[in-house]
Amino acid sequence: MSVCVAVVGHQNNPLYIQSFTDADDALKLHHIVHCSLDVIDERVNNPKKSGPLLNETFLGLLYPADNYKVFGYLTNTKVKFILVTTDVDVRDASVRNFFRRFHSAYVDAVSNPFHVPGKKITSKTFAGRVSAIVSSFGSSTTTD
Amino acid sequence: MIGVGKTKQYANVLDRPISKGKQEVSLSAFAFLFSELVQYNQTQVDNIAELERRLEDAGYAVGARVLELLCHREKGNRRETRLLGILSFVHSTVWKVLFGKVADSLEKGTEHEDEYMISEKELLVNRFISVPKDMGTFNCGAFVAGIVRGVLDGAGFPAVVTAHFVPVDGQQRPRTTILIKFAEEVLVREARLG
Repeated sequence: MSVCVAVVGHQNNPLYIQSFTDADDALKLHHIVHCSLDVIDERVNNPKKSGPLLNETFLGLLYPADNYKVFGYLTNTKVKFILVTTDVDVRDASVRNFFRRFHSAYVDAVSNPFHVPGKKITSKTFAGRVSAIVSSFGSSTTTD
Repeated sequence: MIGVGKTKQYANVLDRPISKGKQEVSLSAFAFLFSELVQYNQTQVDNIAELERRLEDAGYAVGARVLELLCHREKGNRRETRLLGILSFVHSTVWKVLFGKVADSLEKGTEHEDEYMISEKELLVNRFISVPKDMGTFNCGAFVAGIVRGVLDGAGFPAVVTAHFVPVDGQQRPRTTILIKFAEEVLVREARLG
């Protein structure tokens, strides 16, 4: 069950945070997202020679915290997508698919001429699409 | 076998799949819109440099969005980290999507290490524009220069981009060159990456 998604800009400024459970503390989720930014920076700035290619966008599992898993995705403009989930067994392919659709929704939101790059994303269509993607991701992993 | 094709003949017109639609925009529509953009900006400014800056800023916003869209749509989500990579991306992919063809040429500047030039015999945006003599060296290609700057900036390669007319012998209209001058940090990073 995904708990939270976040979009963080290239100067690590938050552009969009949405959590999907009421039970957990929103502040704790924000904190987890913030810590994962450090992991991303470390992965990007010190590439391991034997690790993934320098120019891959999907960063994979960033780090496990408590019972959460945090996945990261980096776009060409250094905008980061973070997914926090409590699913025990999550397939790599389904997370990649999730991020691909999320990136699609993000590109559409940014193409809006009234969107100022660097400011928060306020589009309701974007919020609606993200909820739809998250719910289909959640249902696809639980039925397996 | 002769006559084996992919298209089926549909008996009922309602059974045909919906076409993707034309992928092109009419040139006249764009030319009129761009001319209005230039005219509007002309009423707002007092001098040529300001007009050029405004066109460039308009192009910058376009460039930032085009980069996001193209990376997702065309390049299969790979990031460009090398200088030559991003330059060839601008030169072919971006040009192809914006103007329907790749740019005429991409050259490295001879005097300075950090200068690169993209040349075009006739920029699409300049096709129906002739600049009056009293405006000096003003070039509406500043819009395209802004687009290139937006793409490079978004990808992490800050640069100063300008458009210039270069007279060519044997041709009535001069050739347009987009001059890209990268910032110091880009060269340092490129040298570090080896």
